[in-house]
Amino acid sequence: MPEQPAGVAAMPGREAMHSPSLWRDAGLRLARNRLAMIGLIVLAFMVVLALLTPWIAPYSYEAQDLELGPVAPAPAHWLGTDIFGRDLLTRILYGSRVSLAVGFLATAVALTIGVLWGACAGYIGGGADAVMMRIVDILYALPFTIFIILLMVVFGQNILLLFFAIGAVEWLTMARIVRGQVLSVRHQEYIEAAVTMGLSRWQIIRRHVIPNVLGPVIVYTTLTIPNVILLESFLSFLGLGVQPPASSWGVLIAYGVETMEEYPWLLFFPAATLSLALFSLNFLGDGLRDALDPRASKD
Amino acid sequence: MFEFVLKRVLQAIPVLWIVITVAFLFVHAAPGGPFSQERAVPPEVLKALNERYKLDQPLLIQYSDYLRNLARGDLGPSFKYPGRTVSEIILAGMPVTFELGFYALLVALAVGIGAGILAATRPNTMRDYLPMSLAMVGICLPTYVLGPLLVLFFGIRLEWLPVSGWGYLPGDKILPSMTLGLAYAAYVARLCRGGMLEILSQDFIRTARAKGLPETTVIYKHALRGGLQPVVSFLGPALAGLLGGSFVIETLFQIPGLGRYYVQAAFNRDYTLVLGTTIFFSTLILVFNLLADIATVWLNPRLRQEDGARA
Amino acid sequence: MRSESNVEVGRQKQILHFGNGDEPQGLDPTIVTGIPEWHIIQALFEGLVAKDPATLEIRPGVAESWTISGDQKIYTFRLRREARWSDGDPVTAGDFVFTWKRALIPTLGNPYAYMFNCIRGAKTFFEGRNPDFGQVGVKALDDRTLQVELETPTPYFLQLLDHHSYYPVQKKTIEKFGAVDEPNMRWTRPENIVGNGPFTLKEWILNRVVIVEKNPLYWDAARVKLWQIYFYPIPNASTEERMFRAQQLHVTDRVPADKLAVYRENDPDSLHVTPYLGTYFYRLNSNVKPLDDVRVRRALAMSIDRRQLVEKIAKGGQQPAYTLTPPNTAGYTSYAKLPHDAQKAQELLAEAGYPGGRGFPRLELMYNTDELHRKVATAIQQMWKKSLNIDITLLSQDWKVFMDRETHLHYQMSRGSWIGDYLDPTTFLDMFIAGSGNNRTGWSNPRYDELLKQATRTGDREERYALLRAAEAILVEEAPIIPLYTYTQMRLISTDLRGWDHNVLDQHPFKYLYLEAPREAERKIERH
Repeated sequence: MPEQPAGVAAMPGREAMHSPSLWRDAGLRLARNRLAMIGLIVLAFMVVLALLTPWIAPYSYEAQDLELGPVAPAPAHWLGTDIFGRDLLTRILYGSRVSLAVGFLATAVALTIGVLWGACAGYIGGGADAVMMRIVDILYALPFTIFIILLMVVFGQNILLLFFAIGAVEWLTMARIVRGQVLSVRHQEYIEAAVTMGLSRWQIIRRHVIPNVLGPVIVYTTLTIPNVILLESFLSFLGLGVQPPASSWGVLIAYGVETMEEYPWLLFFPAATLSLALFSLNFLGDGLRDALDPRASKD
Repeated sequence: MFEFVLKRVLQAIPVLWIVITVAFLFVHAAPGGPFSQERAVPPEVLKALNERYKLDQPLLIQYSDYLRNLARGDLGPSFKYPGRTVSEIILAGMPVTFELGFYALLVALAVGIGAGILAATRPNTMRDYLPMSLAMVGICLPTYVLGPLLVLFFGIRLEWLPVSGWGYLPGDKILPSMTLGLAYAAYVARLCRGGMLEILSQDFIRTARAKGLPETTVIYKHALRGGLQPVVSFLGPALAGLLGGSFVIETLFQIPGLGRYYVQAAFNRDYTLVLGTTIFFSTLILVFNLLADIATVWLNPRLRQEDGARA
Repeated sequence: MRSESNVEVGRQKQILHFGNGDEPQGLDPTIVTGIPEWHIIQALFEGLVAKDPATLEIRPGVAESWTISGDQKIYTFRLRREARWSDGDPVTAGDFVFTWKRALIPTLGNPYAYMFNCIRGAKTFFEGRNPDFGQVGVKALDDRTLQVELETPTPYFLQLLDHHSYYPVQKKTIEKFGAVDEPNMRWTRPENIVGNGPFTLKEWILNRVVIVEKNPLYWDAARVKLWQIYFYPIPNASTEERMFRAQQLHVTDRVPADKLAVYRENDPDSLHVTPYLGTYFYRLNSNVKPLDDVRVRRALAMSIDRRQLVEKIAKGGQQPAYTLTPPNTAGYTSYAKLPHDAQKAQELLAEAGYPGGRGFPRLELMYNTDELHRKVATAIQQMWKKSLNIDITLLSQDWKVFMDRETHLHYQMSRGSWIGDYLDPTTFLDMFIAGSGNNRTGWSNPRYDELLKQATRTGDREERYALLRAAEAILVEEAPIIPLYTYTQMRLISTDLRGWDHNVLDQHPFKYLYLEAPREAERKIERH
């Protein structure tokens, strides 16, 4: 699994983004970016479908019809059925609930730990900063495939642990980004000005630090979600993903690969769905970065 | 510069020690031991084996024994392969894993930088979207999907390339390197595009263009060096990730590298092999991160003044 | 374009390319336990006797002849003069005494030591209750005469001799590379190893290939036609199948279930599906509620449609199983059966206090992480849901956790399987004796144990089988396990390979194999 490029950490956010008009500008720039908007729409559509699944799914996701077995896409089953005779469309719909949930929740875990950790390290500074960032270094050096496998092995498999394990790995880069931002903001003149003006610490954080950190964090978040979804599919490939009869995109793809020549639709549709989601998330992330960082999109 | 490197190397030692300790606790906390198997092992045998490998000792003793041996460079025997030492297994797999990682990196750089430059020179046009979308195929299709697809097409259908192996038949290194490399091409492409865009908007590029230099000269002579900087700082983590993430590729293509052991050892509770490979990969990650930092500093003289703190 | 394939070159040079599953742990015949090791050891070593690959009848090996005493307890073997180690030394009776003594030294940690239990005094020696090997019933009367005394008549004793744990190892070589009781296996490195089989170890590249080459000193070398065999460790079945299709292998270790239909259709000559001496079953932990109630266990067993399971999920010609011992194991067949009967199953469940599945706790079914186990469990989960209206949670565990939980009875239901070590029903039935390490269900029945014990005392086959059938009937009726199907061995085999006979033990002595292009008539069929 590719690690998120450390390069995002170097993303410029030097200009203070604390005025509302800058946010509005960013929104306008995003709206003008066609790919990012398509990504946003596709994503919203997927989330809505996932939420509505129990009401719109044509079949049960677990009921089997072994005598029927795997059939190619047909009017009765738009995307065909799997080897147990279960409707693939239904299973993809239910799978998107799991995958999107893993994606969003694990990212939320990573976001929470990462932002708190990075902000504390950056704001407190000094010895505490050094210790906290050494810890991040250590975790970076821990081969994390093994880390997750061991975690799953030691504590057994359940979906909550999956969120936690993935989130626990993905927060590191977030912490670095946030710390970098906080450090760069801390020494800006306007902060010092604010201090002399007698603003309280909390007011400074709220007015100046948070808005500055928010941009990079939003961008990195949209790039973490696809990573997490891929990681879940990798764990499914190892047999450590969600347990039957539940489904997820990763599980469906891992099963589909086994029979890719005999029943290609079992691979094609789940893989296409995953790709669509990942494309959308990535384009949205790129668009956000361009929008929030005006200099980079100038040409 | 020397001081900076020395400082980082010294810092790496406690980091490695903590990694070893965490990994040690983890493998021993996992249920099941190295000797359990389907055919029940008689209690007498289990006792004999545990005594032989000192697994009947308190964990603290095992831990200090391990560290003492490690200090002498002895990683111990493998539990799963009793005739082999961990060092021997690592040495056998290392060249293969390195080679695979190197070729994959070449693929990632070639595809990624190519797509990135194309995209950056005409942002937000089809020449941006198309190469970037193609480069993204590698991350949208997990390696365990892309690998078999490539094999079925180039290996079975067209019969151009061997379907497995590493250096046994001519051309058998192409498909695995491609599969692994493409997974990273998208990241490289994105970083390259971003880096190029930033450089291309700077004044000295405008000046160069204003002077009427041909666009290719502007891009390849002036912009590329700075534009590739984010890619260079990504190389460290990327190479470490490539090496560690080679497990799937090695399984799919029958490649005798370390990635396979690395995951299998955890499943087999081969304590010494887990620790040995963990140490190996952790060291790699630390070394590559350091090299990437050095390269970044070297590419960007401005940073040489600063204290070298990352992030 | 691709260069000449392994299969083509192999045919010209008599090099067999063999898919061997996994990397061998080592090649010491006394202490290894896995199938990949077994394949290679079969090429490198030979026991006192061997089996005919077609009929599984006992044939001479290192021993050219033997006599059995009237009470079937004393075997005297005459070793052949030409039997040689690969370093030129003769194979002597003393070599066997040394090997078997070493196999029983407790500190060696030989997991197969129980295979020697039938020899007089072997068990007490192994358990350390008697340190004097002189009292164990194995003696070298002279260099070429070996006498073995058994505890009880053991009709399958000759078969055991063809198990790798009974194969001879050379004292000189072992002592050169470590203590006698040290399972380090360094002596099995290519540069060190000395064997007595039809092939010698030429090269062993970790995780890549093990190469053996014809042994000119082997007593039956004139019969050996293959020049070399390449054993490849290929853990991934799909990869292996693609290698076979690309002509990189002659023989695969297995066939992915969903590829079977494709081969039946397009390439039936390469597909070999044959019965195998193994049973796939589920263990039910009889210590936990509600599985301590025999009615519940029977209800679970009777609501599984085995026919659907083998036809739609396993797909490899497996036979539905209702007993633990596969039918016709050395002429033994058990007729006990809990048939598929959903109605009866519902009644039983109601009697046990769960009418219509109401109030039935949510049980967990555990299996070790594997594609096939997952599929079988997924199907059975639904069968129970449909016919009994009960919910089961599936739990996939990595192998070590799985074994740990099963051994400590820390589970409710779990997947099991057993492959016979030798051709006799006791290799299956002994598992469920009280206190057996392989039982792992918490179930026991004194009557069952007693019947098996009685069976060891008789030398008469019919009487013995009758006792075993009575025991197996108890096991089936009380259902601490649910037998699901009898295994088949599935392989893809190049049409070039000759001399490959099918048998339920899946033993294919390499000395009989050779490679030759199919005749013209056969080729035509192949093309279609």
